Amino acid sequence: MKKVLAFLTLILPFVPAQAQEIPAAGLPPIVQDQSKLPHVVILSMGGTIASRAKDRMNLTHYGDGPAVNPEDWLHDLPELQNVARVTTEDMREKDKAAKKKGDNFADIARVAHRLNEIAKDPSIDGVVVTHGTNTMAEVAFYMNLVVDTDKPIVFVGSQRPWSGISGDGPLNLYDAVRVAADPAAKGLGVLHCMNQYINTARDVTKTSAYRVQTFKGIDVGAIGFADPDKVKFYRAPSRKHTTESEFARTDLKQLPTVEAFYAYTEAPGYVIDAAVKHGAKGLVIDGYGAGAITASETAAVKRAQKKGVVVVITTRTRSGRVQEVPQRLKAHFVNGDNLPPEKARLLLQLALTKTKDWTKVQQYFDTY
Amino acid sequence: MLNPFAVARNVLGSLGLVLLVAGASAQAQELPKVRLFATGGTISGYADSRDMQYGYKPGTILPDKLLADIPEAAKVADLSYEDIAETGSGGINTAILLKLAKQVNAWLARPDTAGAVVTHGTATMEETAYFLNLVIHSDKPVVVVGAMRPFTSISRDGPFNLYNAIRVAADPEARKNGVMILLNEEIQAARDVTKTNTERVNTFETRDLGPIGFADEDRIVFYRHLLYRHTYKSEFDVDNLTDLPKVDICFGYQEGDRACIDGEVAAGAKGIVLDDSSPGNREAVKDARTKGVVFAQSDRKGSGRVLNSTRGEEAGVVTADNLNAQKSRMLLRLALTKTSDPKEIQRMFEEY
Repeated sequence: MKKVLAFLTLILPFVPAQAQEIPAAGLPPIVQDQSKLPHVVILSMGGTIASRAKDRMNLTHYGDGPAVNPEDWLHDLPELQNVARVTTEDMREKDKAAKKKGDNFADIARVAHRLNEIAKDPSIDGVVVTHGTNTMAEVAFYMNLVVDTDKPIVFVGSQRPWSGISGDGPLNLYDAVRVAADPAAKGLGVLHCMNQYINTARDVTKTSAYRVQTFKGIDVGAIGFADPDKVKFYRAPSRKHTTESEFARTDLKQLPTVEAFYAYTEAPGYVIDAAVKHGAKGLVIDGYGAGAITASETAAVKRAQKKGVVVVITTRTRSGRVQEVPQRLKAHFVNGDNLPPEKARLLLQLALTKTKDWTKVQQYFDTY
Repeated sequence: MLNPFAVARNVLGSLGLVLLVAGASAQAQELPKVRLFATGGTISGYADSRDMQYGYKPGTILPDKLLADIPEAAKVADLSYEDIAETGSGGINTAILLKLAKQVNAWLARPDTAGAVVTHGTATMEETAYFLNLVIHSDKPVVVVGAMRPFTSISRDGPFNLYNAIRVAADPEARKNGVMILLNEEIQAARDVTKTNTERVNTFETRDLGPIGFADEDRIVFYRHLLYRHTYKSEFDVDNLTDLPKVDICFGYQEGDRACIDGEVAAGAKGIVLDDSSPGNREAVKDARTKGVVFAQSDRKGSGRVLNSTRGEEAGVVTADNLNAQKSRMLLRLALTKTSDPKEIQRMFEEY
């Protein structure tokens, strides 16, 4: 018997396994006439939600199973047909050499370009973007700044692979499509939906390596819930986004180089010098406490400013704003508001496409 | 008996008042008009000894002293006050709520006013704030403020809270945000905030949804707009009312019997909020429904919505969304001033 099982596991890896939850109960009745339903497109940027392992107990080093193609989601979740007319597009990097290089801006630019096309396409009502959870918050924030649409765009992922035991992917994806299909989600900027919470792209952050409740708006919380009976919104973001954004329709293949640094006891300046030498036009320093940085960092930053480099200060406490204080005004440091450095970096990159004036950059950080 | 500290405090307070009046008259023309409506609470609590953080008398320090204590506020707003009550959270009753709502409405209806600040005990502050959120007819900021430590205590949080509340009430950007609660530099929406700790200064939290902004030193920042109905978009009006329908709460727990519901119905309740479920509820609700009593189903967990269910609908029980029991009670009281139809009341619970 054991031998048979071992043999089966050898030949089975390429049979796409269904998500673990689905067989537990029968399917709901599926509507036959979908013509009245909104059209939602799922753009796959991959991620854990698009990954499988051979073993369903493998929740940490998956990827040894066949990748999940977008059509597999539709196959595994026929109940999506009750929510929307769902189509899919595979936005993952197809070029093998580029893929090997890993994370790069080309992926982000490609999706931004496509989302701006969808913005103008009257046949599409909403978009779901799947993404790995590690950098999804900053990518969603980037889209929030450059996509010119009031259509719902909902980022979703999962903490456990599609093949994992008690996988969170299926319900997350189902909920994300519900939110993208909901007219109440229009005009709220780019959204994020996992674990039944709806968060804004600007304010959401990954806060835990493994837990399913990892995504939180640390300072200002969620704006709504994807509850089983309905999707409900309580709040809307006040800061500028999407249709109001000065960066809308940015369609660049490359952005000005901005690097981020961390403040800690004895944090040196030479890494900052090196970044400037390598062509950095902007720096984000994740300061401690209210936004303090070390003397060595300060000295390096001053050298950088002489070369026209713009400097933004964030706080590594991950909650609370970096406030305007006389010392930073005098030093011409831009206060990063309550953005984490990875988001401050993208906003600074976009800001530098418009201006090199730190006071103008400060206005962007005050309003976006 | 006054201790030397308290005497010094009172003298300083009187001096402050003089400065306040002088400052206000100089700048009255330019500064936004903000009025303090005082109801009492720990923020105006008095103890003989500055290490006493309990056992103090709430509502003892009168509003003139509260304002005189922070002369800096006179640079932010043209201040005045009305003394509505001098009590703690437990002493707030329908008469005080109605008086407060009417006086605040009258103040904000004046075209020359900017906003209102209400001092209140923290224990029931959230339900008073939500009540005001439903019955104030203005988009001008109303900020409810209190303190966790009495006026006489070391490291008292009251002065800074009150100063920040005045800043927010004077800020035109705070308009249309409904009634807000401000303690600990955090600006919270009245509908969503709750007191989560018996003692700490960070007691007010909005589970799930978070604060809507912050009273930071450099400026006041808002990150959120509210999407539900409140204040200037509310259909409720208490300006001509002298009383509100009686609504009580029944807590749900293992083996809870029908005595709570039966007793409240016998005492004249027109509505009952069920804070989670007791096994005895089903039969008692059925009987009370025949007498026209309206029920709202809330939940004791403190976050998340009560989902709409056909079972509840058939029993004539309204679901309370994510409102806690004490706020559901306020909304149900106001709903009952309009209708006793559960379907119509369900609509209100979904919109407010």
